[in-house]
Amino acid sequence: MKVVTLLKVTPDTETKFQINSAGTDIAEDSSIEYIIGPYDEYGVEAAIQIKEKLGGEVISVTIGSGNEEKSIRKAMAMGVDSGILINNADLKSSDPLSIAKAIKEVVEPLNADIIICGKLATDTSDSFIGPALAALMNIPVISEISSLEVTEEGVVATRDAAGRKERFESKFPVILTADKGLNEPRYPKLPMIMKAKKKPLDKKDTAGTEIRKNVTQVKAEFPATKSAGKKITGTPDELVSELVTGLTTKEKIL
Amino acid sequence: MSIAVFLESYNGKLVKAAKEAIGVAKSIGSDVFGIAIDNNVDAVIEEAGKLGLSTVKAAAGITIYHPAMYSRIIFNAAKDADVVIFPGTVWGREISPQVCVKMDATPVSDIIKVVDASTFKRSLHGNKIHATVKAEGKIVLTVRAGIFDVPELGDGTANREEITSEVAEGDAMIKLAEILASSSDRVELTEADIIVSGGRGIGEATNFKLIEDLATELGAAVGASRAIVDAGMRPHSEQVGQTGKFVAPKLYIAVGISGAIQHLAGMSSSETIVAINKDEEAPIFKIADYGLVGDLFEVMPKLIEAVKAAKKSA
Ligand SMILES: Cc1cc2nc3c(=O)[nH]c(=O)nc-3n(C[C@H](O)[C@H](O)[C@H](O)COP(=O)(O)OP(=O)(O)OC[C@H]3O[C@@H](n4cnc5c(N)ncnc54)[C@H](O)[C@@H]3O)c2cc1C
Ligand SMILES: Nc1ncnc2c1ncn2[C@@H]1O[C@H](COP(=O)(O)O)[C@@H](O)[C@H]1O
Repeated sequence: MKVVTLLKVTPDTETKFQINSAGTDIAEDSSIEYIIGPYDEYGVEAAIQIKEKLGGEVISVTIGSGNEEKSIRKAMAMGVDSGILINNADLKSSDPLSIAKAIKEVVEPLNADIIICGKLATDTSDSFIGPALAALMNIPVISEISSLEVTEEGVVATRDAAGRKERFESKFPVILTADKGLNEPRYPKLPMIMKAKKKPLDKKDTAGTEIRKNVTQVKAEFPATKSAGKKITGTPDELVSELVTGLTTKEKIL
Repeated sequence: MSIAVFLESYNGKLVKAAKEAIGVAKSIGSDVFGIAIDNNVDAVIEEAGKLGLSTVKAAAGITIYHPAMYSRIIFNAAKDADVVIFPGTVWGREISPQVCVKMDATPVSDIIKVVDASTFKRSLHGNKIHATVKAEGKIVLTVRAGIFDVPELGDGTANREEITSEVAEGDAMIKLAEILASSSDRVELTEADIIVSGGRGIGEATNFKLIEDLATELGAAVGASRAIVDAGMRPHSEQVGQTGKFVAPKLYIAVGISGAIQHLAGMSSSETIVAINKDEEAPIFKIADYGLVGDLFEVMPKLIEAVKAAKKSA
């Protein structure tokens, strides 16, 4: 089984972000830690589990802008065999369709059976790349999966869609996007961390595709914080009575 | 400017996020049409008419969701539109990129505000940053669910235009094999006007009955913090927050939830927030409109009774 796992390296959302002087984006400063997002970690874990069950190899593919190698090595320490990294800041900040086209250019020649990516990348939360890649490559996609079973014949995956559980079956090749619940990503062990340093990482500076910037970010700001809350103290009866009165007369919800 | 909106429905009923998407479409321009695919498409067209659409392009007789087929049908119906709008649902997020590729359009995902027909606000980095983006060319939008208002119901009717669907090579590669109805008959989190959520303060799984009983009285959906999802007390589908669901109901009641930033990321846009917590310093109180400082085991039973009584007298 040949599995490709897409890795986007993104600022940790725990970062205390600052806004740049132009007011258009976050400030790129040294306090930002770049990590593999949680959904991509589920993807990496799923890819490795497939290899462990059915044999084969796992290749990671990343479009980046210079902050990626450490995270790719971490994925390698989890069990990814080799990686491809396109380092091109212009491409990384282009519109999501250009990125999808570049990823297609890199991934298609690999002839993978399964391509796994995250349900979304936590920096821009586009939820775009997986299904877009499916359309570009004209192969099926099952997105936001929380369970997966892979055999030589194909995949069975389930997901939670608006309160229903949907179970899909697909043959290869197929694209999967990983949601929470799919698995528990493993922690890399020391021998694997050492080994990962020597695994092949193919670095390029272009995918040879057109870079289109049809979306311009003109402003970045901190979300307005909700006005200060109102605390109610007293006996349980007083609390309940004040709340119920508020909800009936003021908010008109009850 | 022509605007298309995907009227996601299930068994003849529009999902709430699709109604919100209609509202977004109408706020961008007046030349709006809907695209419906359903086994009971007449009911969907009727509902869309009442929500103010005058034209619905409809594909009838499709009994099961198929991502590639849906994408094709919507592309065929929407390809001449300037803006195509999708609800922020699993289906919407799965189909919209495929339609965007076919149209070679510009994607703008997960918008939280319309500034003008080509300028939108988005939420980035786990809702820590809000960004304003300007898009060029034809645009394919997805709209974050739970943020925008549903248009008011009127007595309009929509004209129906037939669209056809054919099976294509490759469709057989994948199928939706089974739909398991949700285990409860409760409203779904992202559809709900009222949500009652429980956190670690409830202590044990069996105490969650307090949350469920209040939800039942209020006709509400049930949510949970990550702490109790990770503890295996509730399914992940109920998790609210950065790595769970994003919700913005009319009323959100957080019971025994501290209000960590990742939880707030998923619910702080709710219209009215109620918190019940015994720790006066809990961060949830910073955003609660009604912050009840007290022991949930004392407050909840009384609250359930009071809601019962209030409903009777209403
Ligand atoms: C990357 C990342 C993503 C995350 N994503 C999410 C997410 O999506 N959703 C999410 O919820 N969390 C998320 N978290 C976890 C988050 O940081 C918190 O750990 C979690 O929200 C805490 O849950 P809690 O409020 O239920 O528990 P606690 O923080 O333990 O709070 C329990 C509260 O209950 C109160 N309490 C206890 N007993 C009583 C009583 N008898 N009566 C009244 N009050 C009582 C306590 O005072 C306390 O405030 C994420 C964390 C990380 C690092
Ligand atoms: N620059 C990138 N390089 C590699 N993979 C990416 C990149 N951007 C997005 N992806 C993958 O696509 C998923 C969805 O990202 P997005 O569509 O940006 O929300 C991510 O979780 C990654 O797996």
